[in-house]
Amino acid sequence: MVPTTVSTALADRPVAGTVCLEAGAGTGNTTAGLLAAGADRVYALTDDPEHARLVADRFADAGDRLATVEADLRECPLADDSVELITAHALCNLLEPVALEAVAAELTRVAAPGAHLLVDDYAPPPEDAAVGRLFAVENAAASLATGRPALTFYPSSVLRAAFSAHGWTVDRELTLLDPVPWTASHIEAHAEAVRSAAASLSPTSREALLAELEGVLDDIEPESVGEMYGLAMRY
Amino acid sequence: MRTRPLGETGQESTVMTFGAIALNWLEQEGADQMVELVLDRGINHFDVAPTYGDAELKLAPKLGEYREEIFLGCKTQERDYDGAREKLEASLDRLEVDHIDLYQVHGLEYESELDEITREGGALAAFRDAKDEGLVDHIGLTSHGNPQLILDAIDRIDDLETLMFPMNPVVAGKEGPDHDYAAVLERASEEGIGTLGIKAFAKGPWPEDLSEDERPYANWYEPVDTPEETRERFDFALSQGLSSVINAGDPKLVAMALDAAERFEGEMDDPAQRSLIERLRHAESPVPEQLHH
Repeated sequence: MVPTTVSTALADRPVAGTVCLEAGAGTGNTTAGLLAAGADRVYALTDDPEHARLVADRFADAGDRLATVEADLRECPLADDSVELITAHALCNLLEPVALEAVAAELTRVAAPGAHLLVDDYAPPPEDAAVGRLFAVENAAASLATGRPALTFYPSSVLRAAFSAHGWTVDRELTLLDPVPWTASHIEAHAEAVRSAAASLSPTSREALLAELEGVLDDIEPESVGEMYGLAMRY
Repeated sequence: MRTRPLGETGQESTVMTFGAIALNWLEQEGADQMVELVLDRGINHFDVAPTYGDAELKLAPKLGEYREEIFLGCKTQERDYDGAREKLEASLDRLEVDHIDLYQVHGLEYESELDEITREGGALAAFRDAKDEGLVDHIGLTSHGNPQLILDAIDRIDDLETLMFPMNPVVAGKEGPDHDYAAVLERASEEGIGTLGIKAFAKGPWPEDLSEDERPYANWYEPVDTPEETRERFDFALSQGLSSVINAGDPKLVAMALDAAERFEGEMDDPAQRSLIERLRHAESPVPEQLHH
């Protein structure tokens, strides 16, 4: 099923007949939207082998309209100027600033002149958002495990600036979600990300993080808070 | 309470319609009190059916007292002329009224039923005769069925004036023609047909491990039951363009729906509607693991 965030973001873009790149394919929700909107070909790119398999299975009947590509977006294996529409749906919050810059450069390299770029992401959650505590633990766990935070929430102005620096111009911004529903399954998915990162740490760090996580999980409930915005740009 | 035009019937219905099935679970005294309550809160559109236990009978006393203030909808599941006529007369009798403002084909589910009601000797012929006799003012149709079937009904029933069908964020978030009630709303609007929303407060099916007598509400589905969720659901349903929204059937939930209807100030904006759809979309399918919206 195509989330309303995706269908709304794609609604005013000329998807039909174009060659698209879904940057950070996740479970393939945006790929689903692109295929449904008549994309000629979609490159669903992810660095997660499990996601790559999942997307390939999910759209097994898409034939040569879909190519699932397992790769790092900082080294995108597509040719220069080869893509007419790029989606980065809830991608940038997974990129720390250095990675964001590298990804922006790569997406620009593969974009054909006149290409469209959709950047949909979360505004920083309000300070009093309970889920913010969970994200903080997730960042602590990821930082200890990999040296990088798991999540960075950029205001739309920052992402506008990051892509404008590479020659993109913004031609619309809209609010996709307000408030953003953080459901029990989202909370569980983020908690699982903490557990997964903590698994590689020393027993002392792991236990401290897991205790912190349990404390947060005891306190927070699903909540609807914050905003998800959608930027559309042209190159 | 705010009102909206019920299509081109000339009726201005309150944004909430009282689903009088709630009376079925009350003793007469409680039923009288509930009718007084909903009238006191400004509701001017009631909906009932002979299949709602003894709701018609329990509505009758107060209906007699306030008949002029109430736009009365009733319906029949009969599909042929004689059956429909018989049920109409029985409802007039049980409700102790001389006319029904809106008489509806109740619960259309199959194309074959659409054939039956539209043929010569079908239920709609009885409806039209009753209209000529002044027993019925307007003709409507209700369905939980496929939106395409409802669209066909619009095409095939020229004098159709209202439709009643499900609308909630769970349904709105589903794809494909089987859930495309938005298309029904669009057509209804083009044709000047009034629209009444049911299942606005449905959360989902009851948990399988909960036996029928353990269910806290009389509804056949699990309803939302907090003031906040009730308001969200009400506002969402009305924001789709419905003329009016019908409360969940259980009498314990009526006051909450009334409160939501009274507080309705304007349509939800698009980001808030999407937020509700997305929240419920994930609630329904927590797998595969999903970090994002």
